[in-house]
Amino acid sequence: MQNIIKVTDLSKSYGRNKVLNNISFAVNKGETVALIGQNGAGKTTLFSLLCGYIKADSGNMQLLGQQPGSQALFGKVTALPQDAQLDPAFSIGEQLSFYGQLQGLSARAARAETKRVLALVDLAAHYHTKAGALSHGMRKRACMAQAFIGSPALILLDEPTAGLDPANALHIRELISDLSQHASFLISSHNIFELERLCNKVLYLQDGQLQQHHAQPSENIAHLSLQLATAADTAVDTSEVCQQLRQLAGVTEVTAGRNHEYQLSYQPQMVDDFDIRLLQCLAANGWQYKQLSKGKSLEQQLFSRKKAAVV
Amino acid sequence: MSMMLLLRQIRLFSQVELSRLWLTRRGLMTLAATAVVWFFLLRYAIAPATEILQEPNFQKSLTAAFGMLGLHQLLNWPAPELTLYWMLSLVLLPFLSLVFTANQLSSDAARGTLRFISLRSSRTAIVLGRFCGQLVVQLCLILLSLTATLLISAVRQGGISWQAIEAALLISCHLLIVLMPFTALMTVFSAWARSSRLALSLAIVSLGVVFGLLSWLIYHQPNAAFLLEYMPGAQIWQLIPAQGWQSLQLAALPLAQTAVFLLIAQQILSRRAL
Repeated sequence: MQNIIKVTDLSKSYGRNKVLNNISFAVNKGETVALIGQNGAGKTTLFSLLCGYIKADSGNMQLLGQQPGSQALFGKVTALPQDAQLDPAFSIGEQLSFYGQLQGLSARAARAETKRVLALVDLAAHYHTKAGALSHGMRKRACMAQAFIGSPALILLDEPTAGLDPANALHIRELISDLSQHASFLISSHNIFELERLCNKVLYLQDGQLQQHHAQPSENIAHLSLQLATAADTAVDTSEVCQQLRQLAGVTEVTAGRNHEYQLSYQPQMVDDFDIRLLQCLAANGWQYKQLSKGKSLEQQLFSRKKAAVV
Repeated sequence: MSMMLLLRQIRLFSQVELSRLWLTRRGLMTLAATAVVWFFLLRYAIAPATEILQEPNFQKSLTAAFGMLGLHQLLNWPAPELTLYWMLSLVLLPFLSLVFTANQLSSDAARGTLRFISLRSSRTAIVLGRFCGQLVVQLCLILLSLTATLLISAVRQGGISWQAIEAALLISCHLLIVLMPFTALMTVFSAWARSSRLALSLAIVSLGVVFGLLSWLIYHQPNAAFLLEYMPGAQIWQLIPAQGWQSLQLAALPLAQTAVFLLIAQQILSRRAL
């Protein structure tokens, strides 16, 4: 499979602080990859290295077979850098058209392309509005629009929905989902819910190292998340629920969380209709469920082991 | 980077700087400030001094006093207004250039706008594009002020000669070349500093320190006086009495200084984290 990004033994330090420590990974064409990590884990540093904004101390990076910042990548790799702003003196239409022209488009084609990408982020009516006159959320969307100019093969988005209201955040998620048919994405975010829906691969940065790489679903063990509904007059005994659930055929593990949440692990090859049997068990005990979803959430996959270790 | 792409991007950057001058509030303020400065210079300095410059006694005195230095050549310009414009511009514009061109890269770097641009353009093209853009802007300002000077001359003389227009073109060429190293110097400091104010301060302090060190060195080692000839603007004193297109031979030094400064700016921006 063709590598869009290939990073080998990449290291970067700021003074004595080693932000990235010999990390290696590859992103294939068509993949939408999540970059996750705590504050200071090195996400933005990795973005900056991939974009050619800063130089690595050691290691090798290739984007579409080229070094970051090389001329061959102009227009093919675009990015929404964290905290970068457009020039407040010019309208967003003028600036995006200028970027389009820098990418090789004619003046007319750049204007048409600008109108297209502004429409994508719901800013078509603001072509002539100066960047300084836009709200924070609108500026963010305008900055994102510049990343969609032309036909980039790789789009790097650093915190794409941070600071957006829920409606616009949803719109941007849908937009990324649509565009991921045509381009590969590398998305950094603290919003696990968002990444879970958008991405099919996860890079988890912790203490400058890539801790977890592509959580593949196991064929032997399946997971299920259950949240029970609780009425004011009905108390549900957590230990009783766990006991009943453990008696279901194929169940290997049941863990109880807060707010009547339960994580079930089971062997799918032992029982075909596990979810039906689970619902029957709930009905037999008079328990209503609020939410039932297959698989582990990305948050559980990434952080449950760490949380358990802390506890 | 291919030469065609480099030239195309330099043209695009220059167009943006022109738009910034004519279409943004900040640019219009620059134009207004320039207009006010030149109005006062033309109204209260050049126009009255023109009459003095035309007096035969003054011309004799000037020739007698500065004949050795060749300053009497100033009287040979086709219009006395151009003589005064030439002298004032040679002294004033380099300093104004430091102020007006201080914000070539620093604000965009601090705001993060250069991150958007650097994904579409090489840092070499950014440096050269912004420098050329500033030169085009300054050429506009020079041409506007020269046009105003020629108009004053035309009103006084009741017409304008072809020699005066040719002289104005020569002046604009010379001034542009004089401003090149100062503009390139500000490209260096704006590639380095985080704000235009800091870039201007660094430029002024650096020039002052270098002049101070050179003066100290020359005081102790008089043989080092030749170093002053390599400072930005060193050719200005030779230019004041210069006449005719052949005087463009003095352009070699400022062009070389400009090339060195731009190379330094390119190296700074290439190494700078955006």
